[in-house]
Formats: sequence, structure tokens, C-alpha cells
Amino acid sequence: MNEVITNNDVQCTTALAALHNIIDPEIGLNIVDLGLIYQIDFDETAKEIFMSMTLTTQYCPMGASIKDGAERVLQHAFPQYTIHLQLLFDPPWRPSRISEEGQAFLNRY
Amino acid sequence: MAVFINDTSTVKNTSYKVVIPFYVYAAISFLVATILLFFSGEDFTQHYFQPHILAVTHTMALGWGTMIILGASYQLVPVLIEAELFSNVLAYASFILAGTGIPLLIYSLYFFQFTWTALAGAICINAAILAYVINLAVSISKSKTENVHATFAFTASLWLFITTLIGLLLVCNFQHTILPEASVHYLSLHAHIGIVGWFLLLIIGVGSRLIPMFLISKYDTPKRLWLIYYLLNISLLTFIIFFFSVTQSIYYLIPLIVLLAALVLFIIFCRKAYQQRIRKKVDEQMKLSLLSVIMVLLPVFILLVLIVLLFFTVVNVQLVMVYGFTIFFGWITAIIFGMTFKTLPFIVWNKIYHAKAGNTKTPNPKDLFNATLFTAMGWSYLCGFGLFVAGIMAANIFLLQTATVLLLITAVLYNWNVLKMLMHKPAKL
Repeated sequence: MNEVITNNDVQCTTALAALHNIIDPEIGLNIVDLGLIYQIDFDETAKEIFMSMTLTTQYCPMGASIKDGAERVLQHAFPQYTIHLQLLFDPPWRPSRISEEGQAFLNRY
Repeated sequence: MAVFINDTSTVKNTSYKVVIPFYVYAAISFLVATILLFFSGEDFTQHYFQPHILAVTHTMALGWGTMIILGASYQLVPVLIEAELFSNVLAYASFILAGTGIPLLIYSLYFFQFTWTALAGAICINAAILAYVINLAVSISKSKTENVHATFAFTASLWLFITTLIGLLLVCNFQHTILPEASVHYLSLHAHIGIVGWFLLLIIGVGSRLIPMFLISKYDTPKRLWLIYYLLNISLLTFIIFFFSVTQSIYYLIPLIVLLAALVLFIIFCRKAYQQRIRKKVDEQMKLSLLSVIMVLLPVFILLVLIVLLFFTVVNVQLVMVYGFTIFFGWITAIIFGMTFKTLPFIVWNKIYHAKAGNTKTPNPKDLFNATLFTAMGWSYLCGFGLFVAGIMAANIFLLQTATVLLLITAVLYNWNVLKMLMHKPAKL
């Protein structure tokens, strides 16, 4: 089950909508439905966003591209904020993190 | 406990500049091998121990199979061991040394001239493999996790070094007698350490990581892979012991049965990974890779027949050639075809579109090569492969020559598609 932990549901929805634009080029699925996003927290006072995410495999050849892309779309969606992006590999990504929409996509393609 | 990694090294991969030269070299080698095959079709109606066949075999084993595997492993080893590749310089050194040594050796084999060219070629190749082994060993020693795939890859690299070292001894033995027997006596030892120890061990080790990864499979069973690892090494060690200690061929059935058990377990592994896949549609590249897993059984059954025939003191020369052909032009070539078009598009995509992810819609990596050319290449390959096997068995020059044309077309189409990927210009976004 793909659940993103957050301290601000409204802002998180905007962030996830932006992150939907980042597609894992190998799988063809966006990183939100793929379950790569673990947590997005917002510090409204300091105008900072703390996001933790993972990759399908550590040292994934596409890792830098996905990480940089995620950072870029978040910055674009929240231009006033400073983005802090952390990669997390424990717990590792598992196929069970793919959302129902993602599963449906992979059943078709 | 959550582990956060905030440095860029966790996503730092081997540069495409290290990897791509190996792919280019391998593609050209495959073309050269099919050209040599075109001019040597008639040789396959005679005995297998002759210059042209030795040259084609080494072009396939070293220039094609080994070079592309070295390149791909520089890209994939960090994924397997979850650590950075130790040295790009050593990787470049292995390319330059192997890239220089291979043509020197093949020239010597083709003209059967064991002069300084053969010796220099063999020394360069050994130095290249030593650089590869050191690079892998230091990379693995820096890895915090121990896993079965990394163990497969490292053991395979050691077997490769032993293979090339024996090759060097055989070259020296052609010039001055340094071994108790003639070089031809050690050919099966040299070949089988290379085939089982290097190709099979590495392909299974890397394949067991990549196949579930590309299929997005839930299947994960390191215990079965460890069993396969031990069976393959026991099979090879038993073969080596028997090579030096027994004279009756029937004993070789023991390592062969152990090998067969390992292969059956790997096929079951692939089948389960396939059944438990989340991604339902399997692309053509994966289909070809999975087909190659089945194709590995063909030379094993031929070897079984050869051993039984040897027991009755019958040496079927045609069958020995079919055995070698099904390994290098069959199993190894099929898996390289599948994996080239599975990995190279991503390497090129990463090079060109790395900074553009998320900006706007970028092309899909699989759109970087021509799918129609790929399908045409697949059919031309399968027809050429089948006809060549039939041509060897029937000792029919017409069949052999037709097959060599089809395989040459296959190599041209492969090179065309590889070139198309490498020449890809960024789309206007």
C-alpha cells in the first residue's frame, strides 16, 4: 500500500500532483504511484520542505535523474520554499508499494 | 529504523563514457565475427581445430561476449553490490588493454602465426582482466552488504582470469613446449572454464538480479541462488579434477548432471519470477533474454550426447562444432541481443535527458532504437542460426553459406540500431 506520511495534507496534495510528472523511464510509471515517496513535511515558518523518497534499487542507473527531477518539480511548485530531499533505503522499496492506479497501469502496459 | 542517505554518491553511477566504448567494440566485433564466418563457411564441414574456426570463436568469446559483459558489468555492478565502482581509470585500462590484445590474438589465430602478436595479444588480455578483477574486488570490499549476485560476479571474474591465463600458457606452448601435452589437449579445459566459470556464472548472477527487476517481480529467493552458485562451482571443479585424473569420458557425466541441476533450478527461478511479475506486458527484449535461458539447454544436451558417444570411442566432429556454435552464436548472442536493447537505451537516455526529467515530456528510452529493425534482426538471427546448425550437421556448403549471409545481415542490423541509439539527438522539448 502506497502511503505518504505528511504533516500538511493540503500542501502534500499539491506536491504529489507535481511529482506525478516524474516518470521512471524504465517502468513508464510516475514515482508517486510507484511508491517511491515516503514522507513530505512542511515547515511553514522557515519555508522549508523535507521530503524522503527511495529508488526501486540503490545505485539505480536512473537514480540521479529521478532525484533531480523530483527536486526540480517541487521547486517549481513551491518557489518560495527551500527543498531538502533525502534518499532512504531502509526500508527498501518493494513492489507492494505500487498504488492501485499503478497496478492497473502495469496490467495494461 | 530509518536510514537516511543525503549525499549524492548514493545516486552516483558509472559514467557512460566508461561503458559505451565496450558496447561499440562488441558491436564491431560481432560484425567482424560474422564477416570471418562468411569467409570460413566451408571450414565448418571439416575438423573444428583449425585457424579460421579458432579466430571466429575467439572473436565471439572475447570481442563480442566478454567486451559487452565487461562494459555492462561496470554499469551494473554498483546495482548488484550497492556501492560505487572503485575506479574508472582501471575500467578504461581494461578497455584499452583488451581492445588492443583481442585483434592481435585473433590475427595470430586466423593466420596461425604464434609469433610476438599472439604473445602480446594474450598478455594484454590478461592484464585487462586483472584490472577488471582488481576493480571488482576493491568495489565489493567497500560494499556494506554481502549478496549472492555480487558473489556470482566476483567468482566469475576469477574464473575469467584463470581462463585467460590458461590461454596465455597455450600461446606460449605453441612457441616453446612448456606443458606436458600439446596445446590442443587443453582446449576443452580452457573453453569450459571460460564457458561455465565466466559466461554462465556471470550471466546467471546478473540475470537473477535483472530479470525480476525488469519484470517487476515479487519473487526473491537468495537461498535458491546460493544453491545454484554452489552447484555451478562444484560442477566446474569436478570437471577440472577429472580432466587431470581420469581417462574415461563417462566420468564427465557427473559434472554435467550437476550443471544440469543448476540450470534447471535457474529456469525454475526465471519461471517463478515471470509468474509473479507485476508488469504484465513483456517487451521483445525481455522475451529474447528469456528465450536465451531456454537456449542454454541446447548445448548441454549436445554435450550429453558427445560424452555418451565418447564412451563408445566415437568422436562426432560435426556435433562438437554445433556444440560450440550453439553456445557462442546461440545462448550468449541471444542474451546479448536482449540485454543490449534493454540497457543501452537507458545509458543513452540518461546521458541526454538526465537534466530534463520532469521539465516536460521526454521520449521513452525504448523509442531510441528502431523496433522494426530489432524484430527483423531477431528473425534473421533465428533463421541464420537454425540454418547454420543444419549446415554443419549435413556438411552442406549451400546451407552454411546462406546461413552466414543471414547472420551477417543480423550483425549489420544490430550495428545499425546501436549506431542509431548512440547518434540520438535530443528531442526539442
